[in-house]
Amino acid sequence: MSLLSIKNLTVTVKESKILNGVSLDIAQGMIIGIVGGSGSGKTTLGLSILKLLPQAMRQETGQITFAGRDIGACTAEQMRQLRGRDIGMVFQEPLTALDALFTIGSQMDETLAAHTDLEPQVRRQRIIETLHSVEIEDPQRIYGSYPHQLSGGLRQRAMIAQAIVCGPKLVIADEATSSLDVTIQAKIMQLLRKLNKERGMGILLISHDLGMVSHLADEIAVMQEGRIVEYGAAAEIINRPKHGYTKSLIEAY
Amino acid sequence: MHITLEAFGRHKAALACFWVLVALYAAAAFAPVLAPYHFADEERGYSYCPPTPVEFLDNGRLAAPFVYGRQLTFDENHRRVYLIDKTKKYPLRFLGGGRLFTVEEPGRLYILGADSRGRDLFSRLLYGARISLSIGLLGVLISFGLGLLIGGIAGYYGGVADAFLMRTCEMFMLVPGFYLMLALRSAVPDNFNSVQVYLMVVVILSLIGWASLARVIRGMALSLRERDYVSAAKLLGLPDMVIIVRHILPHTIAYSLVAIMLTIPGYILGEAGLSLLGLGIQDPVPSWGNLLSESMGIVHIPFAPWILLPGLFIFVTVVCFNVVGDALRDALDPMMKEI
Repeated sequence: MSLLSIKNLTVTVKESKILNGVSLDIAQGMIIGIVGGSGSGKTTLGLSILKLLPQAMRQETGQITFAGRDIGACTAEQMRQLRGRDIGMVFQEPLTALDALFTIGSQMDETLAAHTDLEPQVRRQRIIETLHSVEIEDPQRIYGSYPHQLSGGLRQRAMIAQAIVCGPKLVIADEATSSLDVTIQAKIMQLLRKLNKERGMGILLISHDLGMVSHLADEIAVMQEGRIVEYGAAAEIINRPKHGYTKSLIEAY
Repeated sequence: MHITLEAFGRHKAALACFWVLVALYAAAAFAPVLAPYHFADEERGYSYCPPTPVEFLDNGRLAAPFVYGRQLTFDENHRRVYLIDKTKKYPLRFLGGGRLFTVEEPGRLYILGADSRGRDLFSRLLYGARISLSIGLLGVLISFGLGLLIGGIAGYYGGVADAFLMRTCEMFMLVPGFYLMLALRSAVPDNFNSVQVYLMVVVILSLIGWASLARVIRGMALSLRERDYVSAAKLLGLPDMVIIVRHILPHTIAYSLVAIMLTIPGYILGEAGLSLLGLGIQDPVPSWGNLLSESMGIVHIPFAPWILLPGLFIFVTVVCFNVVGDALRDALDPMMKEI
């Protein structure tokens, strides 16, 4: 059974279509790459899964099912519980996505407290373990550190740790490595792969970087102007691209 | 934080004012110990008795501190004149009866003079400070609690909630503060005991101040809610209240702190205004406002000018809060260049 299934999703701003009849299936534990240029609608796709579209946007048609539940029929409170607990999100820029006024530990604790009934001691234990599992050397120190005290790579690891601390079934990584330098990018990619294997958690990898996505993703969807123009196994897309846009992306890379 | 404190420390006048405020609040906190008399302790025979200096020299020789006795007489215009009676000496008594210093009975110690009923003004100023200074703090706490919460909610949710809350704010801001205060005062019964009156004044004051703060905080929340960490908090499924209280309001701290410092003096003045008119704290419980109301009878001022002292205390406190608030604003503003 598929973990996430999107059928014929159309999202509009006034008259223009941001997403135009997008359909996508993600099986449990798969890594799907969504590749496309700026404005192709990949971020909007991620937000509509979480039902957090900006006010100006409207979902015209389409059905999104996550783990057997119809997202469209969920109440605001049900959605809140779903976010963070079942679907985690990793952002592009960890420095702005983490609140500068709180330590990494207290921000993760907040997420965990919002979704579980665990005792503070147990939560702390679990946070330290999670920080450890994203290959942070000194989780005790990072727990008490503020975002500005960490390097870019560490911050991104902390972000990932925050996204997975509740043990979600799906993680949406929106340009998760675009702001990092190449060597750290590779390490974060390996980390995502490892977490995917160990925890069996699905990953929706949203990026403009086809090369990077092709190393990690099982399947790739290429988006252009709100449509999925090509979809298939990663190797297939890279080696035998059919659509003109995909070809130009590969050439550019 | 460190940088802010350093910048604040460079502001010498503000630092001095800060310590003046600390001293005033400490004096208020320890009023029962520092004051020679209880605030209601009266001696009708010493009405408008001028300050009695503490003497250290007895016939040119150093002696234990004492005060001379006073003899009340009347001059040809039937005005009170207190003559110093050097035959009577009353030594100061230290640490007796839980008070730091007082004087042997039947002598009376009036460091800053006495009021119409022979009560020690110094003691009453100290006890009055407890009310006048705490009312400002308490009122600010309540109105800032309200203002932050309502502003945060209006800014974060926007739309209908925002429109409703902001129109409510404007209704409060519409009425000039002092008249609103008087109207609210007239809405509550006048047979309250002193604790109830105190709480009533606090509530009245805080109902006036919250609206303007809520409006500013709403504006800040409107911009803060677009920040990435707020989106992140939403995407992590945090409840709205947690997002508002933990991720929006703390980021308004620089503004709020300054606004608090600049609002407190307004509340102190508000209480003083109410009490001066006899609508606030009631005699015999002293507050700086009702102490000052004694000097509304202008005939007493020429021969008992010390009854104006509560006004000086109010003035000094208000100026100090303003200077400290201004310096704090400069210190918290990274754009501010040193002149």
